Amino acid sequence: MNSMRMHWVNCLAAFGLVVGLTAGFMGASVAQSVAGQAYSTYVNTPAASSGQAPLAVLPAVSGTDGAEADAQGSALSVPDALSSDFLNSITSGEIGTTESGAQSTASAAHINILNGLITADEVIANVMSRSTASGAASNADGSTFQNLVVAGVPVTWGDDVVAMDLPGVGYVVLNEQIPSGDGVTSSGMTVNMIHVYLQSAGGLLGGATTTGEIIVGSASSSVGP
Amino acid sequence: MMREQRTVIVWPSLLAAALVAAACSDQTNLNMAPHRPSFWGGVEECPTGKWTGGGRMDPPNPDFDDGATGTSTLEGKVTFGFNVFLGSDGDGRCIVTKGEIEVNHHPSHTSWHVSIHNGQDAYGETVFAELIDPDASGRGACLLVGVDPITARVDGNKGTDQVQMELCDNDRGAPQNSRTDAMRWISTGYGDTDLTYLTGGNIVDHGS
Repeated sequence: MNSMRMHWVNCLAAFGLVVGLTAGFMGASVAQSVAGQAYSTYVNTPAASSGQAPLAVLPAVSGTDGAEADAQGSALSVPDALSSDFLNSITSGEIGTTESGAQSTASAAHINILNGLITADEVIANVMSRSTASGAASNADGSTFQNLVVAGVPVTWGDDVVAMDLPGVGYVVLNEQIPSGDGVTSSGMTVNMIHVYLQSAGGLLGGATTTGEIIVGSASSSVGP
Repeated sequence: MMREQRTVIVWPSLLAAALVAAACSDQTNLNMAPHRPSFWGGVEECPTGKWTGGGRMDPPNPDFDDGATGTSTLEGKVTFGFNVFLGSDGDGRCIVTKGEIEVNHHPSHTSWHVSIHNGQDAYGETVFAELIDPDASGRGACLLVGVDPITARVDGNKGTDQVQMELCDNDRGAPQNSRTDAMRWISTGYGDTDLTYLTGGNIVDHGS
């Protein structure tokens, strides 16, 4: 009886070892590099500038490890360009044997851009990238804005990327999403919740020139081989 | 290139077949005396491991399958990020050896931060943890950080709060966007989110 039981224990142990080896071979295809960054605000106009703030950048992750970085700001004011408060940026990432990934989130509240041209109660940019043996993918689930008004027009959150003209100023892209990677061994996503492009009027040759930009809520994540 | 690929596939297959065949043969004649691992001491060993993640949740959105109560006293948008390492203290109890936790509750404009080094938070308290693997739903594992509540800094250095965090990695091997990962944040001063499904982001138990 005991011999019979031991026999099956050996069978199961061998099977488990085989499964483990197989998982090990599969694990070799999981991403070996991850990156992430997040910031709440960025201003670069002819009249004023303010760097990416508060900026959280994922430290280097190697082997099977993980890391987290965060940064906070109580308030920010760039005269005639941007004011905001409750600024928070977080990024984290991990490299594992069966799954690797990175996730970033940036937020800001009480946003006022260009002296009331664009206002919002709150903006959250959220992205994640993930790699397993079955492939790599990214998304911006969890991103949103609340009570956003652009040039007097209320804009309702709907997951869509929206571009709107700002006459005499330029244009704004809402929920701007910039994907990267091949979807197999690499994937990345940057989302800018409010991205204002300032433009000068076209000259004799026509065409507008971008002269500056304002970003509120920017989060990036990526995984790679 | 093709030949290299075939070699990579063939050799592990042969090795696997040999292992299973040897183990399942009828030539076993081993000592059948009961045997326990040498580390066995009657107390469950705390596995080493690492958990990392972040994202957003919007309580109430309860994960009943993993034990949500259905009562959330801290509601609205919550964003968070964390990285924790598990280990054991001298008595074999499961602790967080090091880590960083950041949680923001947007409706109240409140931020919490916990830093853990050498098994203790910034206030010298040991950060006990409990791993539930498999979890109640059978979809993955859950981790409780702060079996005894730990101290978080609130809004920078404006105050402190007693907190606990529960994390569930429920999407192992599942398609992305399955949205089954869950998180719970309990604050003595502000309330309890309940165990809540993520709206976006990810929670990963990425092993030792």
